[in-house]
Amino acid sequence: MPDNWGYVFAAYGLAVIALGAYWRRLARRAKSLAGPGGSE
Amino acid sequence: MTRALRWLTALALIAGLGAAFGYAPREAVQGNVQRIMYLHVPAVLTAYLAFALVFVGSLGYLFTRRMGWDRLAVAAAEPGVLFTGLTIVSGSIWGKPTWGTWWTWDARLTSTAVLFLVYVGYLLLRGMVDEPDRRARYAAVVGILGAANIPIVHFSVKWWRALHQPSTILGPEPSPIAAPIALTLLVNWIAFTLLFLYFLARRAEIARLEESHAG
Repeated sequence: MPDNWGYVFAAYGLAVIALGAYWRRLARRAKSLAGPGGSE
Repeated sequence: MTRALRWLTALALIAGLGAAFGYAPREAVQGNVQRIMYLHVPAVLTAYLAFALVFVGSLGYLFTRRMGWDRLAVAAAEPGVLFTGLTIVSGSIWGKPTWGTWWTWDARLTSTAVLFLVYVGYLLLRGMVDEPDRRARYAAVVGILGAANIPIVHFSVKWWRALHQPSTILGPEPSPIAAPIALTLLVNWIAFTLLFLYFLARRAEIARLEESHAG
């Protein structure tokens, strides 16, 4: 069976993009709702 | 608390990636494409956990009418949809070199797609109803009915003739997986569970802030 690294990196790459985008979306939304100076 | 969880999650994800690419051996039959399983399996187990919490939050809301239960449900549903989407996409990418096709209308694949659509519908429904109590009540009904699909997804490979392999992690028999592969799966499962808990905490906090802004 060939190694198919391209498929492996595609799967992990898409996962990193999707999870990272959701992580950033939550952070931005929380920051905007918390107002100036708000974080966690 | 959330800050500590964030760092713990980041460390666990790094450990999971290290195990998937540096520790786990090349699988004898499938080759390196099997490494996609360290993403695919933890993703679906995390989705099960998420939708089980949607079920608990929905039941809790209907019994008590307290918005905290509704916040739990929505905070679990969003990442649940994300992890189900990852399950489907990673499975499809694994399926092309292994089965020779991106998609087939197999019982496991089809029921997982239905699970994904049900909870996308759950989120769309929430977006369409403005009044908080009505929104929480309608969503709770969908959250409870939608959970019926979780055992269908899990046991589909037993109940119907399927191309998808039977359960090896949550199956009734002892797992035949080699120790390094099982350990890598476990590390990634823990990492994904921590990531889900981090998403859950942040999303629940956002829901609380949205309520206080609206009220």
